[in-house]
Amino acid sequence: MTPSILLLLVLIPLISGIASIFMPKRASLVSLLATTLNLLISIMVFKQGLSYSVPWLGFGIDLSLRLYNFSAFIILSISAFSFLISLYSVVFMSGRHKSNQFFSYFLINIAFATGAILADNFIVMLFFWEGLLLTMFGMISTGTKEAFRTAIKAFIILGIADLCMMVGIALTAHLAGTLTISKINLPIHSLGGVAFILLIIGAISKSGAMPFHSWIPDAATDAPLPFMALVPAAFEKLVGIYFLTRICLDIFILDPKSWASPLLMIIGSITIILAVMMALIQKEYKRLLSYHAISQVGYMILGVGTAMPAGIIGGLFHMINNAMYKSCLFLTGGSVEKSAGTTDLGKLGGIGRKMPVTFACFIITAAAISGVPPFNGFFSKELVYDGALERGVVFYLAALVGSFFTAASFLKLGHAAFLGKISKENENVKEVHAAMLVPMIIIAVACIVFGVYNYLPISVIQSVLGEARLEGHNFWGFPANMTLVALSVIVLIGALLNHLFGVKKFGSGLKAVDHIHYAPGLSQIYAKAEKRFFDPYDIGLKIVGAIARIGWWCDKFIDWIYDNLVVRVTYIFSDGIRFAHTGNYSFYIVWSMVGMIAVLVFLIR
Amino acid sequence: MKETYIILAAVFVPVLGSFLLPLIGRFSTRIRNVASFLFVLTSFLCSLALVSSAMAGKAVVFSRQLPLGFNLSFTADGLAVFMACVSSSISAIIILYSFGYISHYENQNEYYFMVVLFLGAMMGLVFSSNLIPLYIFWEITAITSWRLIGFFREKTHVFRADKAFLVTVFGALAMLIGFISIYQQAGSFELSVIKEAFRTNPLPGMVVLLILIGILSKSATLPFHTWLPDAGVAPSPVTALLHAAVLVKIGVYVFARLFVATFALPELWHTVIPVIAGASALVSAAAALIETDIKRIIAYSTVSQIGFIFFGLAVGNEIGVIGAMLYILTHGLAKAGLFLSAGIIEQNTKTKDITKLGGLMGTMPVTAISFLFCAFSVMGVPPLGGFFSKYLVFSGAVNRGDLWIAGVFLLGAFLTIIYLFRLFNLVFLGKSAFPQAREGSLGMVSCVAALAVLSVLSGIFISYPAKVAGVSVQQMLGMIK
Repeated sequence: MTPSILLLLVLIPLISGIASIFMPKRASLVSLLATTLNLLISIMVFKQGLSYSVPWLGFGIDLSLRLYNFSAFIILSISAFSFLISLYSVVFMSGRHKSNQFFSYFLINIAFATGAILADNFIVMLFFWEGLLLTMFGMISTGTKEAFRTAIKAFIILGIADLCMMVGIALTAHLAGTLTISKINLPIHSLGGVAFILLIIGAISKSGAMPFHSWIPDAATDAPLPFMALVPAAFEKLVGIYFLTRICLDIFILDPKSWASPLLMIIGSITIILAVMMALIQKEYKRLLSYHAISQVGYMILGVGTAMPAGIIGGLFHMINNAMYKSCLFLTGGSVEKSAGTTDLGKLGGIGRKMPVTFACFIITAAAISGVPPFNGFFSKELVYDGALERGVVFYLAALVGSFFTAASFLKLGHAAFLGKISKENENVKEVHAAMLVPMIIIAVACIVFGVYNYLPISVIQSVLGEARLEGHNFWGFPANMTLVALSVIVLIGALLNHLFGVKKFGSGLKAVDHIHYAPGLSQIYAKAEKRFFDPYDIGLKIVGAIARIGWWCDKFIDWIYDNLVVRVTYIFSDGIRFAHTGNYSFYIVWSMVGMIAVLVFLIR
Repeated sequence: MKETYIILAAVFVPVLGSFLLPLIGRFSTRIRNVASFLFVLTSFLCSLALVSSAMAGKAVVFSRQLPLGFNLSFTADGLAVFMACVSSSISAIIILYSFGYISHYENQNEYYFMVVLFLGAMMGLVFSSNLIPLYIFWEITAITSWRLIGFFREKTHVFRADKAFLVTVFGALAMLIGFISIYQQAGSFELSVIKEAFRTNPLPGMVVLLILIGILSKSATLPFHTWLPDAGVAPSPVTALLHAAVLVKIGVYVFARLFVATFALPELWHTVIPVIAGASALVSAAAALIETDIKRIIAYSTVSQIGFIFFGLAVGNEIGVIGAMLYILTHGLAKAGLFLSAGIIEQNTKTKDITKLGGLMGTMPVTAISFLFCAFSVMGVPPLGGFFSKYLVFSGAVNRGDLWIAGVFLLGAFLTIIYLFRLFNLVFLGKSAFPQAREGSLGMVSCVAALAVLSVLSGIFISYPAKVAGVSVQQMLGMIK
């Protein structure tokens, strides 16, 4: 197979994306066709190693793409998700305002994400990577009226992180002496450490970890739902964690003993705990899910950051699992929105009977994200636990506590949305169109397959690490450490008991966690967090505002020098000179004499 | 020598032609408008025609002996041709835009006369390879810009014009003293002679400082920058011309011409100039975040971006200088687009205060989208051109090891994203403050849209300008003979 087929993977969605702007009526079909083609191609090239390179700008900047086992795996996932969500969007977006624009950004987004994964040259990668900013901005902005503001917020947060990565790439390329990613292998110390941190900022911001997360909950309510299912749930994790893994495995050598590994694990743990705590108290379907989209990325970063084979494999396995169940969960949210017209949990309830397929998909994927065996989430979490425990009990506990709250919040969500009493407005709710159900069913089934038959994904992921790192271990099958499994099951049972306790005490699924929400000490923190008191974006903008104020004063001071000081000095000077012009002849003669003497002195000397 | 005539045409068609424009204007405004566009277009086409010979490494030279060493000599090497193409192409678009914009105002003859003379002087300056003609053209731009900034003749406007004139002429005089001391050591104003003379002995620090004052004042860099935001009282196409195509790029060009292509800058200045540029980039970006006048914000943005260009040039290695040259191109396109959008907004809403504006996205969609894309280019987002230039400047700096200063510029780049979105947000989003406002005339809007499209194309087809820039940088740094 010719390597130039890799170009097709980028060009098909790109060209059809541009075309769909001009075909408002057929945009959804164009997108379906393009994503189908891409899926077929990525299946065709899955087992191959291809590289394609043509000169582009000079100074080492070549247009080079490389497909090998890792990128092929990610590309296949990306194509599969884009196909399924495209299918879903055909019905979901029909009749919506600006839907052709949405499909256009959607397709270009696929092209850029594919390009970023395939790129084997840092500049090409950065080109596609930062290009994602534009498509993300565009997709969010096609949402509600407030969506533009959220789009700006997302753009500023990710744009700043991407600039850091740009400098990081310049530094890495300088240290390595090449821009070809596959040729770089650097140690993490001194300047290498700076470069590592700058690249990590880019990677974790793309994957939506803290402190780069705060646009995601806003986007959940403002952006069109397929965006949430595609980008924060699937693409960002795939692209961000892919690059994070590349940084830790290939570009740099992440040693468990170096400072970088605990740093990543701390970021991961904090992200898990804080985001899940926020998810717990949400009263809106999509917003609740969006906090989980943040929280789950913590497990991946924690896993990769352990620098242990079990942890890395767990992190990567969790990445693909999360992409599956999280986008399916968002799709169920979209179905509920389409049928019931709202995603406010206070107005929902009891619609499980009316939408059995959606509810079934929800149950499977919610169980998967909570880590219930035998679904896929259980196996990847166990691997992450295994890796985390090797590095320190604290990290393991953080992950376990995260699981407790995850399970608790999904019990609450499922109970509040699908069970309980049905309200009058929702009497006529119907199951959604088959084109929306098929993607959900496929993903839900895949969640089971990846759990029961986890040899399939894990063997691929193991080949990414290579035999040398694995030291003969195999990580598929049932977890080896039964103590950890027992602990996880206990935590799940605890979450269930907690839910039953809450329901009994407060009388409804929606209020099942109120005893945690309004616990003394926590309730004040929650109240502030809900008012965006801790939003790193707002805090950052305040700091920037203060810096700007200082700079502005500097500028005003300089301007004052020109407008006042210089003018005044000139006036004082010319006032002084004015004394010389008295109009008195004898005075002028004296001046002339003084001048002549001065000239003479100058000439004689 | 056919090519020498091309240089002369590029310079003197607009310079001499501009004097005809007021006469033509007495008979027909339409012919005058078309003629002024054609003069500028001639410059552009001539510059374009010189690209191939410059790329081949043959600098086209024209020289006439004049008394006292004041030779009139022009050289079209890579740098000159690149700069001439950028300036004249952007100027041509601005002239097209002026047809719609300036038709509402009086003194149109003066306007076209000054604008075309301005561009002609720029072309003369760019092609000059003798310090004296270079200085003369430099001062012609000062005079024309003075007249153009005070074009509306209100009292404050005239003061602002005076301020711009005084600051830049003060700088120019300092620079002239620098030129004279170079003459004392080299015995000639001819750049090729000077280059030979200073091949072995370094340039005295005092001379560098004097010339730098001239350059910084013209390019509106800290601490000589405050005239540029004040010059925002000029008609919008003029501000676009000042910021994007001609005036502030003069300083940058002369910096490249003298301190990169002619002299080797003493080592100390490779640190001092980035520090100045960094301070300039940061302070002005901060001011852009606080100001509320749309044109002042974009003006501060120019000051900030010029800092990046100086940074790339002062770093002085191949990648940094190529980055700076591409920056001149991409920033020119994007900034012209921003100013011309601002012109449409200003003309249709009669206000420049962003706190009073809002919601124009609904009434001016094309302007809004064009503005957004130009802003993306200034921010440095791919696939727009600004991305490549920003990366190359940073890459050059990192290769030199200027990590701390690169950090300062990184902060400046953060602020760029924030203040441009603040501007976009307040002007185009939110509640509609001017529901009756309409898009500008077709000609004006299409100019703005064209600049946005060119910003995108300059990114996608970056390899073509990069090739020209690459060859000229190799000529400048003496990597190929």
